[in-house]
Amino acid sequence: MKLYLKLGLILLAFCVVATALLAFVNSATKPKIEELKSKAAEEARSALIPDAVFELKTIAVPEADSIEYYEAKDEKTGELKGYTFTAAKAGYSSNVKTMAALDPDFKIINIQVIEQAETPGLGANCIQESFSAKFKGLAPDELLVDKDGGKIKSLTGATITTRAIANSLRETVQLIQAELSAEAEKEPKP
Amino acid sequence: MSFVKELTKGLIKENPIFVIVLGMCPTLATSTSVNNAIGMGMAATFVLVCSNVMISLIKNITPDKIRIPVYVVVIAAFVSVVDMVMGAYLPELHKSLGLFIPLIVVNCIILGRAEAFANKNNVLNSLADGIGMGLGFTLALVVVSTFREILGNGTWAGLRVMPKTYDPMLIAILAPGAFITLGLLMAAINLLKERFQ
Repeated sequence: MKLYLKLGLILLAFCVVATALLAFVNSATKPKIEELKSKAAEEARSALIPDAVFELKTIAVPEADSIEYYEAKDEKTGELKGYTFTAAKAGYSSNVKTMAALDPDFKIINIQVIEQAETPGLGANCIQESFSAKFKGLAPDELLVDKDGGKIKSLTGATITTRAIANSLRETVQLIQAELSAEAEKEPKP
Repeated sequence: MSFVKELTKGLIKENPIFVIVLGMCPTLATSTSVNNAIGMGMAATFVLVCSNVMISLIKNITPDKIRIPVYVVVIAAFVSVVDMVMGAYLPELHKSLGLFIPLIVVNCIILGRAEAFANKNNVLNSLADGIGMGLGFTLALVVVSTFREILGNGTWAGLRVMPKTYDPMLIAILAPGAFITLGLLMAAINLLKERFQ
């Protein structure tokens, strides 16, 4: 009995040291990691809509995480250039996160897959430019893969990856569109 | 003398993949391309060296009965620290290796070497063992992924080596291709070993 108590206490001591170390490292590195992340997101946004200033907007979604998107206005004239947002959905072997830019009519200007760990040679080809090109100019209800009756041709052997990207984008665009048209109705333009 | 011996044994004679047959899961999963193989190999080598040294250092204060949970705590803590520090200070490296970090925790080469080597040997030899085994693991991954990437995608480390007209054998980069390639390579190595003995 005494032996087991001793062993348990020794294991506890190891765990306490390890936890303290992790807590210390986490508090030391967290601000830096967050900073790098927001910087990377900012760079991705400016690559999609150049020469624009971005303003963060959020949409509250009941019983889910709220959606964040950015309104892009021209640096000089302040004219509305479009919106950017990120959407994510489970693909074949990872969560696929895509950043997309919309023009003021909610058509896709360009997309960029920013996080994925899909099968190399198949799904991972979604980071190539030839893949992003398939989405350019599509309206929200056209964001469907060919097997679901849409226009987007799936990557060879990676329909699931393509579908995850198309569906995540479509759902988010439709939410943003619904939110903005509801807003426009509330405040009719003079 | 023994330092050099411990360093080189992991490469061929006691190669963790082809001879000891440890760490099959990450081998099958990350040998789809040479770049992935090198990334996984390097990340695992780093953690292996650190955990071997650490476990060798604490071997005298670790009661035998609870050594496995202690190793698990040490390895998991190390991997998390590596992940966070790399994310904050080496973001470029973290981008390419970050994917593999969760896989390292479950890589049984690390626990296997802790149990079979580091808790019986001194720090210097454990360091050599970690480096050797890590490089042996990397070498094996690169060999497997070379076949899979060339056959399955027509490229090597992202460079096109097959003519444009080559139609890639998709199966080579899918899961069955991993088993087939690994099995054939092991058979070839065993055949060579018999010949030379």
